[in-house]
Amino acid sequence: MTRSEHVIVGRDIPVKDAAEKVTGRLKYAVDFGVSGMLHGAIVRSPHPHARIKSIDTSKAEALPGVYAVLTHLDSPGLMWENAWFNYRGEVLDGTARFVGDDIAAVAAIDEFTARRAAELVEIEWEILKPVFDAELAREPGAPQIRVEGNEREAYEVQWGDVAAGEAEADVVVDCDIRFESQQAAPMGRNACIVEWSGDRVTVWTSTQTPTEVRDAVHEALGIPMSKIRVQALPSGCSFGNWWVANFMLITVLLSRKCGRPVKIELDNAESMVTVKRRHLEHTRGRMGVTKDGDLTFAQFDHIIDNGGYGFKDDVGFFCVDLWGKAHHGDFAVHGVNTNLVTAGCMRAVGDITLGSAVERLADKCAIAVDMDPVQFRLRNQIQQGDELRMQHSRRSMPNESLEAYLASVPLSVREKWPVPFRLSSGSTQQILSEGAERFGWSERWNGWGAPSFSEGPIRRAVGVGTGAHVCGVEFEGNTGAMVRVNPDGSAKVFATAGRQGQGSETTLTQVAAEELGIPYDQVEYELGDTDSGPWSHGSLASNTMFRIGFAVRAAAADAKSQILTIAATEFFNGADPSTLRLRAGVIESTSGSGPRISVSELLGEIRSDTLGQTSSITGRSSAVPMPPATTFARHFACAFVEIEVDVETGVIRILDYLAGQDSGTIVNPKVMKNQVIGGAICGAGFALSEHLVFNQMTGAIRNGNWMDYKLLRTLDFPNKVEVIFGDSYDPVGPFGARSGGEAPAAAPGPALSQAVYNALGGIWVDMPMTPERVLAALGRF
Amino acid sequence: MIRLNVNGAVHEVQAETHESLADVLHDRLHLIGTRVSCEEGECGCCTVLLDGEPATACLIIAAQAEGREVRTVEGLGTPDNLHPVQQAFVDEHGFQCGFCTSGFIMSSVSLLERNPNPSREEVAEAVSGNICRCGAYPYIVESVMTAAARMDENR
Repeated sequence: MTRSEHVIVGRDIPVKDAAEKVTGRLKYAVDFGVSGMLHGAIVRSPHPHARIKSIDTSKAEALPGVYAVLTHLDSPGLMWENAWFNYRGEVLDGTARFVGDDIAAVAAIDEFTARRAAELVEIEWEILKPVFDAELAREPGAPQIRVEGNEREAYEVQWGDVAAGEAEADVVVDCDIRFESQQAAPMGRNACIVEWSGDRVTVWTSTQTPTEVRDAVHEALGIPMSKIRVQALPSGCSFGNWWVANFMLITVLLSRKCGRPVKIELDNAESMVTVKRRHLEHTRGRMGVTKDGDLTFAQFDHIIDNGGYGFKDDVGFFCVDLWGKAHHGDFAVHGVNTNLVTAGCMRAVGDITLGSAVERLADKCAIAVDMDPVQFRLRNQIQQGDELRMQHSRRSMPNESLEAYLASVPLSVREKWPVPFRLSSGSTQQILSEGAERFGWSERWNGWGAPSFSEGPIRRAVGVGTGAHVCGVEFEGNTGAMVRVNPDGSAKVFATAGRQGQGSETTLTQVAAEELGIPYDQVEYELGDTDSGPWSHGSLASNTMFRIGFAVRAAAADAKSQILTIAATEFFNGADPSTLRLRAGVIESTSGSGPRISVSELLGEIRSDTLGQTSSITGRSSAVPMPPATTFARHFACAFVEIEVDVETGVIRILDYLAGQDSGTIVNPKVMKNQVIGGAICGAGFALSEHLVFNQMTGAIRNGNWMDYKLLRTLDFPNKVEVIFGDSYDPVGPFGARSGGEAPAAAPGPALSQAVYNALGGIWVDMPMTPERVLAALGRF
Repeated sequence: MIRLNVNGAVHEVQAETHESLADVLHDRLHLIGTRVSCEEGECGCCTVLLDGEPATACLIIAAQAEGREVRTVEGLGTPDNLHPVQQAFVDEHGFQCGFCTSGFIMSSVSLLERNPNPSREEVAEAVSGNICRCGAYPYIVESVMTAAARMDENR
């Protein structure tokens, strides 16, 4: 099927839940409740690092209206882990690892009583020495925050021989950059509602990852998955904040202890300072380039602080892939625990930070050989079929060489799918070339370190940046979906995905409707119910369209195949089902001759004895061979910006923004443009203003509110943004589609940074480029 | 007991003296479209119209709204019969997660009642008290421009 034949894929239709959203009727977890429900509140640590010597709950329990107090003594003592090491810990273990850490919880008749009772819990603490700086936490003798130690083995990606790359280089450049911590700053705060029925439990919460929540309850409580049902509700903007959060598991335990349904609702301050944030990062890097502009090597040593419960160290291999044409490479990422609030994946993890450092060095190389930054990227960035350098990581290829792995893949699989670890489709090439033309790059670019306009204190200049990200990460299980076709000819998609505003309920339904041949308005979705939806990681790592979309299409294809098989027997005299098609809800012969039977006619009738009555058809993704558990897809973004700097005030304004996006087939262009622009604003916020401020003595976040944590508003970003799409077609993704949500957040930082460099006449400013930092860079502050 | 005129109907509500208008609308009158988020007037999620003027309901004690006309997103249109501003937000994708949407829509309705033909810049200014963390700003501005054009045609 070619794109021009698509009926619903590629169309700019409004999102499925639009009317609920604009009328204020959509229910998030904070709006949800069940009868008989109590309210919970969490007791939080005032200390960054301390151990409970004794805990006295008697005063809290004596408060009228209190039903139960949960402490670490009630905790099952089991570790739970969030996807990709975003969290590892027990629900409560009697140790505080950051100010605001979960210590105990109270269930009471209302929220006010619960919060009052929480203040009455008395704790005698053994104060432990804290450490807030990742580099200090790595030193011998540093306070140990976790039983596993503060740091595990580094994540390393190596190819070729960096020493040889250095010898090949005409110029070598270096950098040493620290990145501040960005906060997802979720507007929609969250709640968790739990009800036990015997030994079975139901959990309602706003999450991007319904199945991960179920799996975490299984791990933390040691109960079978079959006894756990998660019914995920839509979340407010999440950016990775609402995967599994420990407060959800506390609610599960608290409800079990008091024998009543319980709701814990986090207020905005709790959402901002106790759940998650982007890592603080420190990059030291070197790159070499020939005088012709070819990268000879890239070498990076990158440290990320995980806070108290993060366990991650594998960030950044997507920017490594993007610049993987460098002949030799050596990347090491060190994840280190500190006594700050837990850090983990936030939108474009690694690529917005390490990726910006890589782009900074690439720019320095381009400056050294006086090459235009667009040309430098076209020359040195990955293209379809090129090797993905992440294959050279120790962890993605444990215990075997790539050759041995490829040899072990059966020929039937190798023939059907793209070569593992080779880019399956797309690149930055087309979007950079076309973007440059649409933007008028060659006319507006005035050379390195040269503003295009200078008058009084105002300097203007342009910049370009690029980003890449995965389309779901593999290696950890396969993604499933089901599609049910009902007797009336309507259909429903069952999968586990997030609804955090990225439009999955719409785009996944478009994929199903296109494959089925059933009208879109007859196809609905259930993405939040772990009892009906098969396992998937959920909507994270730009997983939704590429991985879940693949499964949805596969399940729809299976359902269609079953329908056509029945139709062939019942209405087409046993014809070969492949000679039939299903279009607009009607089954007909591809030759156009013979009867035309609607799906409802087919399923609504009693048929021959062998088939019986089929009241519904269930298509399963597992009926279709899945791609091998490896990786080959990436999505790409570029940003062209024009900025203005006032060198008297240090204020930067974005005057113009053009975004390029290569995500293969675009299932819903308006949905994707919204994602691209939203990513641009998230990345621009990181580049210009957003950063958490930590108390130097306690590690507590000082600006956990939106007065002091500066989010961009309408006046801080152009109100008209052009978005262009590459026209690549992925051989694996549904109808040629890949994913799209994260690379667009990685591209703006480098573009803005480069534009500021040019505007200031050749001065780099580290991000966030606040007025203070701009003036400091100019020696005026 | 306080008397509130909300969306043209009078409600008598038992509320604590400290309760904000946002909490009373959301929790007691179950008008959940008034989203409560920052509770300090920064995000604009709880924007309602008080006698036609946009106000963050989290900063107003419920009793202060007595004797004034309160309009919430529920007073605009229903899914089957959307207000032109709501319809334009649907058509132009003027939101993503939807949490801030009621607030943006209320600010926009107030703008168009005062200024039926705003420029893009005037729209951006009028909604600059609302935060959309998803970053749908350009499409929010587009939505209001579309709504203005359609309402103008029908006048």
